[in-house]
Amino acid sequence: MSSKDKFTGVLIFGAAFAVRLILFQFSNITEILGSRVEIVTPVTSFTRLTEGLYLFENGVPPYDGGAFHQAPLLLAFFQLLGYLPDIFTKLAFILMDLILAYCLTDIAGIKQQLYYNFPKLEIELKDNEIDPWIVAGFYLFNPLTIASCLSKSTIIFTNLSIILGIYYSLKYNKSYGMFWITMATYLSFYPFMLILPLILFFTNNAESRGKNIKSEIFSCVGLFASWLSGLLMLSYFLVGSWDFLGATYGVILLLPDLTPNIGLFWYFFIEMFDQFRSFFLVVFQLHAFIFMVPVSIKFRDHPLFSIFILSGIMAIFKSYPSIGDASLYLAFLPIYSEIIKYMRYNFLTTNIFCYCSILSPIFYHLWIYAGSGNANFFYAITLVYTIGNIILLVDATFAMSRREFDIWNPDLRNYEIIQK
Amino acid sequence: MTNKDLAYNGYLFAMWQLGRFFSFFVLLFTVVENYQHNDIFKESLTIKPLSDGKLLTHFQFNVRTNEIKEGKAFSHYKLFPRAIGQIIQSYNAHELHLTFTQGRWNYKDWGYPIVPSAGTGVELWAWLWKDGKLDKNWKSLTNALAGLFCASLNFIDDTITVQPKLSFRPEGLYNATELSARAELRYGSLPHENVCTENLTPWIKLLPCKSTSGIASLLNGHKLYDSNFHSMSIHVRPVCQGFECLNKHLEIVQTVSAVVDPVRNSGKRDWSLNQIFGRQLSLACPLAEESKLEVILSEDGDYKLSPDADTVVRKNDGDATIALYNLKNLQLDTDISMTWNEDVFKYNLNYEQPRVYAHRFFTGYGQERGGIKVNIFNKSTNFTVPIIYYDVIPWFLKLYLHTLKVQINGEEVQDSPIKDLYYQPAVDRSRPNVIEAELLLPPNSITTLSINFDKVFLKYTEHPPDANRGFDIGSAVISSVGEGFSYLHDFVTRNCSEDIPTTACYHFSIRVYTETLLVSLPTPDFSMPYNVITLTCTVIALFFGSMFNLLTRDFVALQSNEGDKDKESKD
Repeated sequence: MSSKDKFTGVLIFGAAFAVRLILFQFSNITEILGSRVEIVTPVTSFTRLTEGLYLFENGVPPYDGGAFHQAPLLLAFFQLLGYLPDIFTKLAFILMDLILAYCLTDIAGIKQQLYYNFPKLEIELKDNEIDPWIVAGFYLFNPLTIASCLSKSTIIFTNLSIILGIYYSLKYNKSYGMFWITMATYLSFYPFMLILPLILFFTNNAESRGKNIKSEIFSCVGLFASWLSGLLMLSYFLVGSWDFLGATYGVILLLPDLTPNIGLFWYFFIEMFDQFRSFFLVVFQLHAFIFMVPVSIKFRDHPLFSIFILSGIMAIFKSYPSIGDASLYLAFLPIYSEIIKYMRYNFLTTNIFCYCSILSPIFYHLWIYAGSGNANFFYAITLVYTIGNIILLVDATFAMSRREFDIWNPDLRNYEIIQK
Repeated sequence: MTNKDLAYNGYLFAMWQLGRFFSFFVLLFTVVENYQHNDIFKESLTIKPLSDGKLLTHFQFNVRTNEIKEGKAFSHYKLFPRAIGQIIQSYNAHELHLTFTQGRWNYKDWGYPIVPSAGTGVELWAWLWKDGKLDKNWKSLTNALAGLFCASLNFIDDTITVQPKLSFRPEGLYNATELSARAELRYGSLPHENVCTENLTPWIKLLPCKSTSGIASLLNGHKLYDSNFHSMSIHVRPVCQGFECLNKHLEIVQTVSAVVDPVRNSGKRDWSLNQIFGRQLSLACPLAEESKLEVILSEDGDYKLSPDADTVVRKNDGDATIALYNLKNLQLDTDISMTWNEDVFKYNLNYEQPRVYAHRFFTGYGQERGGIKVNIFNKSTNFTVPIIYYDVIPWFLKLYLHTLKVQINGEEVQDSPIKDLYYQPAVDRSRPNVIEAELLLPPNSITTLSINFDKVFLKYTEHPPDANRGFDIGSAVISSVGEGFSYLHDFVTRNCSEDIPTTACYHFSIRVYTETLLVSLPTPDFSMPYNVITLTCTVIALFFGSMFNLLTRDFVALQSNEGDKDKESKD
């Protein structure tokens, strides 16, 4: 790594750290962000974590109530942080964002090495690939990331675990890789669907590394299962009962808390007729997981791209999505900067993101505070946001497939390409 | 003497013997019955001019019986209402307290009520024996009472029912160890319930004389519900008979309190029974052992009672003078009245305030979150008063206990006045938040409790038809404890009249009820279900369809025939 590279890195990380630290000093900013429904959800809210911690420390079972829905290990982590001065909690959130970004840099570097010998398009041969530091920069200076970090949303723990899982898997460190993806699953359940692409990391190069594909799969699944049972047992010993399963995964799956967020679930299940509630709950949750296998198969040579698509699906179709989820999957897009030239709706999606960022707080205010709008205003914005994300994901999938086609069929360049 | 005569004489003799035998049995039965059925019925009407010119009228009817005992089947009712007796017996209740209230008792101006009034709506609490089906019994009890009183008591379900840990101790005779081991308390309140004549009619039917005679004949729905405050209650509990407490009796106390405003009509606080109730007082109920009317007189003021009271009693503990009328001796169609020698009523500005009272209110704005604040006043200059604060907040307000703050006279204090705190967090759609705190109120202070909450977004089917009216939150209750109880005695001791030993006098502890609150929750658009289902499903289908398309169909080049191409170019 050249000194110029290092300088870019220090500059980006230093600036990101400074921006966050300065903004953390304005307690009204963090308070406002920490109470926005777009940024924090019932399963990631720091206020609710504080409440759970308070109950836990005062001998009231934290999961025997309707307020706290986060994993027990978070309780333990923040109990330890509680012994330190208040500033350390803020530093912890900043630090996690920086570690996450640093891992992204490495992931981008490893991906570029990994696909170095892969065939490329002619025009790509001239350009350099994207600087990994820029990938980190895109993540760190994404307004969604900054807002999510300042709100102290605990989604950052899930995001960091996912990134660490990918990072160690790309380094072929099986037990760490599996541990972190288990941790992500343990924290917010949906990252379970990322296990398939992660296993593909190990199997794709298994033969060149002298490993047996079957044994790789079995060891990954075994590690996942044992880490998961370990984490659950540890949580059980921590809080002394299994109540936390219902209060965390039960809430994520069954949606008893209908607080608005930017996802599709809340208004749908507020308005749903009681007799169809269970049916649609099953359909919606299955729909989120149904893409796990086909996406992994389609992009079996590009597991990282599968992760990009699947984490995007999580960010749209999970039961309590927040902009923190979106910030994670948007961070993968710069790593695949080569597909951007194939994407058809960049202008549209960019505009939709801007449009939603401005109108969603306004419409929420009109409904909840001013009383001059109703719930449909905010609902409409969540639909637009979801459609924006959908267009981006579908466009990325299209671009990736189309680029692959062009790489393998350079001779068909002058023909009109259609789908079979 | 012929045989016929002999036979006739023998017949007479036999009849005489039979008659004697029969009359003996009649006598025996009468004695046994009189011995067994010593149900006692007492009625009294208390009238008290309040400091702001209003008038408190308080009807109280007591029936005692020594027949109904726990675990013993009984079906021969005399004065004790059968409907209540059967409910107590079949659902294994130790004590039962049911209060219907409309309006708010104004503690600051009126002092403490004669029996605890309860907050607006219906309040039901009962001590039930643990018999393996206690919760089923509670459910049946609420349903039975709902049927009996034409009230929505059947809506007291698990989301409303609470088991208070510190408040609502038994008010009758009880053995603390037995009670804690064998009985459990259930409490439920419906602040939204309206109280009206359909509740009063079944209530009157429980009285031995109904409303045909005695003071109950004054209960006139039209006048009763045209008042600033009215409260109607039933209390059933075991009590002692005699000093040694040899016999356990079951007592039912039925009360109706109403605060009427004579000043509103005439500008003067003069009143007469005819004027307040719109009815004549008929003769005392013949079944009543005691039937009396009491007027609690104020110390100062130039007033005249007519006709003159039978006796005037001066109480040495509270400084009240009481004029007593024995209704058994009263002439028919007597109208008791009180006239003040003044042209117009002037408000008394330095009336005696009660020592402990409280106000509760919401803080914050918007439909997303808010806070609850309670100011508890201790007006005594040199007593620290221990109290229990009890508050039930429905599940649709999500309380954050870490935001609970206690301030004394507007300042945070080092030494928290909270001595004991019991907190039950709510679970969505299954149980409410419960806060019970034992507090020590410093002399001459305002203790402020505040806590924040998030409003829950309800499903559209969970909203009532008038969703934008809001949801009622029941009163918080402040109860006196231990030493505080005897200290807070005001009117309560007056219930222990001379002839009843203190162990058996109505052991009502003081309870101060705060205002009920109205909270508006965020509402969805109720006309949207189909639209939302179609729109959301369309968005999901958009994604699913596009992804399915991209994942299953490969790209191909559209290679048209070279020949065709040539043809086209030629054309």
